[in-house]
Amino acid sequence: MDPILIRIHDTPLSPAQELAAVIGRDGGCGAIASFVGQVRQEDGLVALELEHYPGGTEAALREIAENARVHWSLKRVAIHHRVGRMEAGEPIVFIAAAAAHRRAAFEAVGYMIDVLKTQAPFWKRLHTADGSHWIETRPDDEAATSAWLTELQNKDA
Amino acid sequence: MGDRTVKLTLHFVAALRDRLGRSEMVLESPEPLTDSEDVVAWIAARDPDAGAALAHQSVRLIRNNQIAPRPAPVADGDTLAFCPPFSGG
Repeated sequence: MDPILIRIHDTPLSPAQELAAVIGRDGGCGAIASFVGQVRQEDGLVALELEHYPGGTEAALREIAENARVHWSLKRVAIHHRVGRMEAGEPIVFIAAAAAHRRAAFEAVGYMIDVLKTQAPFWKRLHTADGSHWIETRPDDEAATSAWLTELQNKDA
Repeated sequence: MGDRTVKLTLHFVAALRDRLGRSEMVLESPEPLTDSEDVVAWIAARDPDAGAALAHQSVRLIRNNQIAPRPAPVADGDTLAFCPPFSGG
C-alpha cells in the first residue's frame, strides 16, 4: 500500500476527513502531526485563485513527500492541495505525517509546508473589487526553504 | 544525415501566459536546440518582448513534468513549461 497520498482538489478540502484517514492506520505509529493552510482575509481580498501545472505539480509534491518520508522514517504522508477559486477561511492545503514518535512527525510537516511554498508548482492570483493580480513569493518563504535544505544536507552528510 | 529537426511543446503558465498571450506553442526548429537557453533565444529572435519575459532569472522550468534547473537540456519531443516563481501552500 502506497504510504504517500498526493491529491489535488478542485472542490473544497475536508481536513478533518483527511486527518481521520491517517489516524489509526499504522500500528507502528505513535504520532500523527498535521498542518492546514487556509486563505487569510487580507485587505481587499474577494477571492484567492490557485493554478497548478497538471502532471508537474503532482510529481513535485510526491518528491517533497518522499524526501520527508525517507529523512524522517515516516510511515504515512498525505498532501492535499486545493486549486481553483477560494474565499477567506477556506483551506488551501492539508499535510499530515505519521511516524513512530512525535518529533519526526512535527519536523516532517514543518519541512513539507516550508518547501512546498517555493518548490511546488502553484500560482496564486488575488481577486479584489478592482481586479486581480498574481502574487509573488515572499522572501521569508525562500529563506525557510533554504534553511531546511541546508539542514537536511548537513544531517545526511 | 538524419532529420535533426527538434520539435518541442512549450507551455506558458500563470503570469507568463498572460504576458505572452498564449498558453502553448509548438516549436519546430531545423537547427539543433540543445537547451532551454537556445529555446529562449529562438523565441527572442522572433518576439523580443516574449524573449525578455522568458529570460528573466526568476523563471522556473518544468521539463516533461519534472522541475528542471536552468539551463535545462532539451530533446526532440520534450514538453517544456516556463513558469513564474511558485506561490503555493
